[in-house]
Amino acid sequence: MKWKIIIVKIILPCALFFLLYLPKGYGTIISDDCGACHGLYPGMMEEASPGEPQKYVLQNLLCVNCHSGAGRDTIKILGGVKVPLVNNTMMPVNLLAGGNFYYVVSGFSDRRGHNVNGITSPDAKFGSTPPGYDSESDSSVIGYNTNKPLACAGSNGCHGNRNVENPFVAIKGAHHADDSPVDGSTTAKSYRYLKNTNKVKGVLGLEDQDWGQNSSLKKHNEYSPSMDNFCASCHGNFYRKDKIGKMSPWFRHPAGIILPKRDEYMYYNPNVPPPADKPDIRMYSPDAPVARDVIPDAPSELVKPGTDIVFCLSCHVAHASPNESMLRWDYDAIVSGEAGGGCLICHTGKGE
Amino acid sequence: MSYGQRGIMFTATMLGTNTAEATATMPVSATYNGNGKKPNDITVRRNGLRNLNRLTSAIFFVLCLTFCFSATIEAKMKGRCRDCHSMHASIPFPVLTKGGCVGCHGQAPDGVQNVIKIGKTRVPQILHHMKDGDLASGNFYYVAVGYNPDYTKGHNVTGISYPESIPTMNIPPGFIGNVVIPGGKGPVEWPVEIQLTCSGTWGCHGNRTIYDPYLSVYTAHHTHNGEIDGSTVGKSYRFLYGIKGVEHPDWEYEATVHYHNGYKGDFNHNTLDTISYLCGECHGKFHPNPNLGGAKDVGFANFTTWVRHPADIAFSSVHGGFATSEYLDYSIYSLESPVAYFNPTGRETVVNADSIVMCMSCHRAHASPYPDALRWDYSQITTSDVRREGCLICHTRKGGHE
Repeated sequence: MKWKIIIVKIILPCALFFLLYLPKGYGTIISDDCGACHGLYPGMMEEASPGEPQKYVLQNLLCVNCHSGAGRDTIKILGGVKVPLVNNTMMPVNLLAGGNFYYVVSGFSDRRGHNVNGITSPDAKFGSTPPGYDSESDSSVIGYNTNKPLACAGSNGCHGNRNVENPFVAIKGAHHADDSPVDGSTTAKSYRYLKNTNKVKGVLGLEDQDWGQNSSLKKHNEYSPSMDNFCASCHGNFYRKDKIGKMSPWFRHPAGIILPKRDEYMYYNPNVPPPADKPDIRMYSPDAPVARDVIPDAPSELVKPGTDIVFCLSCHVAHASPNESMLRWDYDAIVSGEAGGGCLICHTGKGE
Repeated sequence: MSYGQRGIMFTATMLGTNTAEATATMPVSATYNGNGKKPNDITVRRNGLRNLNRLTSAIFFVLCLTFCFSATIEAKMKGRCRDCHSMHASIPFPVLTKGGCVGCHGQAPDGVQNVIKIGKTRVPQILHHMKDGDLASGNFYYVAVGYNPDYTKGHNVTGISYPESIPTMNIPPGFIGNVVIPGGKGPVEWPVEIQLTCSGTWGCHGNRTIYDPYLSVYTAHHTHNGEIDGSTVGKSYRFLYGIKGVEHPDWEYEATVHYHNGYKGDFNHNTLDTISYLCGECHGKFHPNPNLGGAKDVGFANFTTWVRHPADIAFSSVHGGFATSEYLDYSIYSLESPVAYFNPTGRETVVNADSIVMCMSCHRAHASPYPDALRWDYSQITTSDVRREGCLICHTRKGGHE
């Protein structure tokens, strides 16, 4: 009798909890309010005629509309589901890890972010050609079409299947698919739905449940160097070894290289000293994050020079930032020989 | 980039309000470069303390020195990263620089600025077209492709000049292979297809045991280099590895007899740290150091007649002694024909028996308006010349008489 009580009241509920929740990623949208997302426009919810595609109204804009906010908050609730906002109409507070397209929209500068269709017009300088684009580095069979604008997803975008031109089709189903583990096997199981094509493994990583909002030493995304390969799909010349060099002296700033365990790099994030008993360890900086070959199960506050990896997002954010070149910091304000963060978080010897 | 922003200058201006006897007539400036002597020539040291409360004065003096010293060790180049580096340049250059060495230090060959200031960074220009603006090393303009170059007037550096076409100049004149240099040995031979570079094994700056020009000066621009002791490239005079000296902050633009580069010399010929030894690393046969040309190629001081004009030789070692020599009449420091010192300060005004003739006494390091990168037109120097210029600044009795 006693065992039955234990089984019914303790073990069974626990098992149910794990079965129902843990195998599914937190990102899988489970909501009984379909209309919150799919009823934004008249006709969206209507059944399509047999053999006809669904009537996704304003397809690419649907991404923008769901992930935009009228206020300053960067997470909103839609149909009971938390939705990360990448585009605020007011200056956002508590930016998410990808930044916010507000900075390329609101009269700031093309140089502060990706010029995504539906959010802003193409870049005045680069047009629709990604700087450093190299078709050999792009695994998409369609490739980037420089005659068309950058999109959220699809062959001219970042998210979803880049072998599909239509942005909405490229990511279709991902929001409702089983999204764990993040092993890169499907779009849904790829970090932030970043999976170039079906033939290549998606980006890996550990997704902060608040998309990096209020990230800190102990709470942040964990990145994989696979992110570099992904960025290189459109900016290959900034990643290819024959374009940046194979070793110091580099010709372009390298990505996907191990933070050296020597010289100035051993003092990564000098403003946050490591524990006295771990002299070879440095403390993680959300202002200049590193990637890791082995993604930890939980965000790690430690950085290991000689192991952890400098990658594209060590300096840049993915969407847009308050700073030129989508940097995490104001490059103009970083002065060698003076105190400061930014570049000097890694290049500690160039500081004071 | 801005060599001269290192070797911090602390200029203590002490207006002599309470030290009338000492300094009332003029402000006294003292520059302490860390590797030179302390500013003993500050008049207040001799007279001022007599009139001030001794304790107060002592504290003041100590504080001055403390600040001076602390400023020295804090010396470091300051400037925005973006002023010199480009992370993802469309035309990339090593170390992410904007155009490599010449891109920064020769960014406006037609321009009229010998020092270009970008943000907080002052960048000396080794290639420019500023009238009367040549810096201590001269100006590569005289040998630069595109500007009617005359390759007899300077070093033919890659990126500025084409290789010398004259066969005998395919290698540095007087070259000796495998000589001792700071950090190791120089190249065993100089292949004719190798052209001179700014730095590295085939250049002057940086660690010459490192082949790659950029690796050889790697991090030097960002080194704490208040003390130029030659221990690292960053702590070497003008990033000439192992060489000591004191750097004029404006690269000798508008230098004065009172304030100039301080060149390191050593007549004992047992060190590698003199400016002339640096020259001798490539032009070995012109230096009397036994590591280089030695007695065979140059001669002995006080012993034989010279075979070639010596460098790193003190006036005290001349035949017959300094006291009766013609060099006695070179008594005030000349910017036209500078001398080196055993412990240079850059503040020397007096030339005496211990002053040292060096390569730079006659030549410019980069290029000059004159053949052989000389400081003067050798063809115009005659023994009948009464102006006492050029060679005659030292060889005072070889000139004519008014």
